[in-house]
Amino acid sequence: MLADIITPDLFASAVRIATPIALAAIGGTISERSGVVNIALEGMMLFGGFMGVIGTSFTGSPWFGLAVAVLSGMALALVHAFASITLRTDQVVSGTAINILALGLTGFLMEVIFGHPGTTDPIARLTPLFRFSGPTEGVVGTVWMWINGVVFSHTPIVYMAIIIAVVGQWALFNTRWGLRLRALGEHPRAADTVGINVTRGRYSAVIMSGALGGLAGANLTLEQVGSFTENMTNGRGFIALAANIFGHWTPVGSYLAALLFGFADALQIKLQLFRDIVKVPSQFFLMLPYVLTVIVLAGVVGRAVSPAAVGKPYEKG
Amino acid sequence: MATQRTEGSSSRVVAALRELAIPVVSVAIAMGIGSVIMMIAGFDPIAAYLAMLKGGFGGGRQIGETMLRATPLIFTGLAVAYGFRAGLFNIGAEGQLFMGGLSAAYLGIVLAGMPRPLNIVLMVVAGAAVGAAWAFIPALLKAKVGAHEVITTMMFSYIARYLVSWLVTGPLKAEGQIPQTNQLPVESTLQKLHELFPFLTPSRAHLGFLIAVGLALLMWALLKYTTLGYEARAVGFNPWASETAGISVPATTIKALCISGALAGLAGVTEVMGVHFRLFDQFSAGFGFTGIAVALLAKNNPIGVIAAAILFGALSAGGGTMQLEAEVPQKVILIIQALIIFLVAAEQISRWILGRTVRKEVENAG
Amino acid sequence: MGPPLIEVREVTKVFPGVVANDRVSLSLHRGEIVALLGENGAGKSTLMNVVYGLLAADSGEILVEGKQVNIRSPRQAIDLGIGMVHQHFMLIEPLTVTENIVLGTEPTRAGVIDFKKAREDVREISSRYGLAIDPDAVVRDLPVGMQQRVEILKALYRGARVLILDEPTAVLTPQEVHELFAVVRSLVAEGLSVVFITHKLEEVLHVADRIVVMRDGRVVGETRPSDTDAAGLARMMVGREVVFRVEKTPQSCGGTVLEVKDLHVFDERRLEAVKGISLSVCAGEIVALAGVSGNGQTEFIEAITGLRKVESGTVLLKGRDITHAAARESIEAGVSHVPEDRLRRGLVVEFDLMENLILGDHRRAPFAKHGIFDFTAITEVSRRLLKDYDVRAPSESVKAGTLSGGNQQKLVLARELGRDPDLLVAAQPTRGLDVGAIEFVHEQILDERGRGKAVLLVSLELDEVQSLADRILIIYEGRIVKEFVAGEASDEELGYYMTGGGGDGAAAGAEGVITSDGNPAN
Repeated sequence: MLADIITPDLFASAVRIATPIALAAIGGTISERSGVVNIALEGMMLFGGFMGVIGTSFTGSPWFGLAVAVLSGMALALVHAFASITLRTDQVVSGTAINILALGLTGFLMEVIFGHPGTTDPIARLTPLFRFSGPTEGVVGTVWMWINGVVFSHTPIVYMAIIIAVVGQWALFNTRWGLRLRALGEHPRAADTVGINVTRGRYSAVIMSGALGGLAGANLTLEQVGSFTENMTNGRGFIALAANIFGHWTPVGSYLAALLFGFADALQIKLQLFRDIVKVPSQFFLMLPYVLTVIVLAGVVGRAVSPAAVGKPYEKG
Repeated sequence: MATQRTEGSSSRVVAALRELAIPVVSVAIAMGIGSVIMMIAGFDPIAAYLAMLKGGFGGGRQIGETMLRATPLIFTGLAVAYGFRAGLFNIGAEGQLFMGGLSAAYLGIVLAGMPRPLNIVLMVVAGAAVGAAWAFIPALLKAKVGAHEVITTMMFSYIARYLVSWLVTGPLKAEGQIPQTNQLPVESTLQKLHELFPFLTPSRAHLGFLIAVGLALLMWALLKYTTLGYEARAVGFNPWASETAGISVPATTIKALCISGALAGLAGVTEVMGVHFRLFDQFSAGFGFTGIAVALLAKNNPIGVIAAAILFGALSAGGGTMQLEAEVPQKVILIIQALIIFLVAAEQISRWILGRTVRKEVENAG
Repeated sequence: MGPPLIEVREVTKVFPGVVANDRVSLSLHRGEIVALLGENGAGKSTLMNVVYGLLAADSGEILVEGKQVNIRSPRQAIDLGIGMVHQHFMLIEPLTVTENIVLGTEPTRAGVIDFKKAREDVREISSRYGLAIDPDAVVRDLPVGMQQRVEILKALYRGARVLILDEPTAVLTPQEVHELFAVVRSLVAEGLSVVFITHKLEEVLHVADRIVVMRDGRVVGETRPSDTDAAGLARMMVGREVVFRVEKTPQSCGGTVLEVKDLHVFDERRLEAVKGISLSVCAGEIVALAGVSGNGQTEFIEAITGLRKVESGTVLLKGRDITHAAARESIEAGVSHVPEDRLRRGLVVEFDLMENLILGDHRRAPFAKHGIFDFTAITEVSRRLLKDYDVRAPSESVKAGTLSGGNQQKLVLARELGRDPDLLVAAQPTRGLDVGAIEFVHEQILDERGRGKAVLLVSLELDEVQSLADRILIIYEGRIVKEFVAGEASDEELGYYMTGGGGDGAAAGAEGVITSDGNPAN
């Protein structure tokens, strides 16, 4: 049975499942590094995923849908930025409002556009980027099956997420953008006194996180599922925030933490196939990521230090 | 809190009106934006709101329906408001509600054959305790390791939902195809209000509404007159000063989140005992989340929670009529709800509008 | 001498309810040190924040080298060659010295920071002005004097010709102050100009070329050190004669109230902050714990008031063991605490005055019985306390946040002394207060002494320590390193021990901190 569970597909599916969480978690990293809590990632993901489906179904091009998804995430992020930076609304409250707004907007538009609640019509999906053929026989065949399955079987956004994590990590610690971003979340006033525009820096960070949230949604709808279902993000935005904390507010850390969640989830899906042998109700498997999130938070938060000014609106003078 | 004693009654009225102005203006703007969205989508907002009004307040039965829908929202609104007062955001009221409902659905069957008043008291107390227990672990994690309650209570709400989903499809499932628990015997249910007060028009409104209003008054008194409420508020405003003054911040945090959880649990109890008489997967229409909007709109004032819950109850009761008569998807209510949260939280928008009208009045008067 | 480097003409700045600057004019020439002297709240910092572009003036103009300029942001001020070292350092603690210095004007290639060049630049400037620093040290690990040096380097890195130092000595030891003065003189020798904001008279006489005195938002006089003395400056600054020494009755020990034996306490990072302190305070005695911030005073106070866990050692109050008492038990045992940061630990600013006055006593009769408040009793006691402690407020039901700093501190005193404690622990009780409020606070502390109470005073202000204390204990790196009887030691001697036994030793110690923490933990 173990050989049936530990397959290339298990790891490939871990990477797939980790992708939306990782993208949203990196979005959370960028936003929180600038000093703005973004619990609206859930809503941005949802809205982005939905708008991606709309964009795809109107043009037939999932790539166009992807662009729409990213822009939609950014649009919601702009609302969050305006509320929490310009109006200095409580950031968690603003995020909650956006999550409810995304739920309402997607549900409402679904009924207006598709004429029914629930799930949208299926749309054209983004397909795996590579299609290699290789040896199938012997040890070489097995090795190739693993490499091909785990590394080369994925859709574009999965690779984008890895690139974003690595480039983001490098940029955070080596570029002007990264240094200033870190300064904003630690001590915005100090940044202000050396001529860094706090408002602009925070706006761009929040909008960037919205773009990543939208991309995460696009991964769900345009790559993983091929349609949109109401509230399909199912708490992934919140899990992403936990992943960000677990990853100590770094892009690669966020990605790896998301991978942990992805692996747990992939494992539970796999185990469900063996329901006859492992006699555990499916609901317990479905609970796993949420339980894991709580365990992660219980274990690490005491040691992880968040950016000092996170959650606090900045007032000049 | 001493304002009432030292200032005249007229200034008290003015102050109260000013407090009211922002929520009222926020609701008005949100509904305005809602109509723009409806118009863009090709609907007639006036017809929609008229239908909503009719569905919410059109007659005794409709008012009863509004009260019915306001009932869980008063509980969850109080739950979120109490948390906010102590500086905690209980975003997972939904989960505590599920657990409260679960406790009632189970206990109601166990207590079959016992006297009704006893059952009601036992089930309410047990449901509150179970709701509190469900909030306890996030509370403990918050108090001991600082794990953010927004994430943990949210996760616990997913866990609660899957737990209930498992129980209603498995161990607690009633005979038949539908995944739900057995129907509660009548002695384990809440009376309809018109059964208690025969002069009322028959409706689905039940005793839970009165319990909710009673608890709102109790919470108001608790915050104002007791050291328990005082300590919660002190910690909510300034945990460092509270600590310095010998108030245990962890203990206060745990107490506050558990009280919040107990209140949310009662929403589940009364839904099961007064509306559905059994438990199933979808027994809550997101009351835990609407509770956030209710608490914010009420500015965490328990009495305000009653009013805000009635407003949202009416939106929900009227939503069905709106969908039926004006063919506007009910989801628009969620959009309006989100807008209300924004507008109440971002007071400046309403203040700015109020400021302009006041200035105009002054200019006109001068 | 051409046009002044900077000239401020008739600047007015109004905050809601306060005219912070009322037609203020000021000029600064090349190579000049101008001291801006005034009490807290006189408007000095406001004026300089206007010059630095952090605040916009309501009216008036600013000229740089004779040309009128409109400074709307720090960026523009920096571009005009103006640098500012703020009273509260504008440093990002988890970042390195280099990162802090280049932030905002990073040397980059296509957006990528050239850290090699940045580091070299920092080294070059620090050697040119003789401000030695490790460019790779993490700012959080540096002592305060070093952090200030980073701030000065930040301004120099940006090509500042004018350096505004806002209360630069407030956090420094006497030795560090001397070093700072040397730095300031060498900067001026290099052609820079310096505005030195302070409320300390001695410093002004020591370092300034010219002294501008402000009071209540106005410039009330201008003079030179050679033309005046401390008393003259004080008269200008306060507007009346000032008594420098407080009258005190002779002290006699009425029995030990507080006795601390070999106390060890850790800080947040699990490092030992208090390393075996023993001390005792008699009834009717004021014992001052003097030291530079960050030498364990905060942790010590938190430990004896039940706010921090004691690792080992004992704390006795009138013979009763309160070592592991929680804050609540500590209060009930008779310890009152006037915390260092009144807005953070002393008050709930959103609460009204009554609610603040019962904070800590709110469970007790007559305020509450069985968890229910008695508002009649609360109002009655509150009104009496507000009157007794001269808290100026429209009524007992206004929010504490609406009061001035002085009245807020009186409110804290009213509560802490109103409960008639055996021991008063007062940390920095006069920080940020005006002269009138300082006098009031000092009187109250002396009154406690007169009534046979024990007082433990923790202060950075040597004036305060010298004038109030019966005994002075010097704390350095978590240990009591020296004890003086009142009047026995000069400020210089106190400073000598506060820095671990001397200027050289302190500097060596500071260097040690940098190198040992040079490799960031993460």
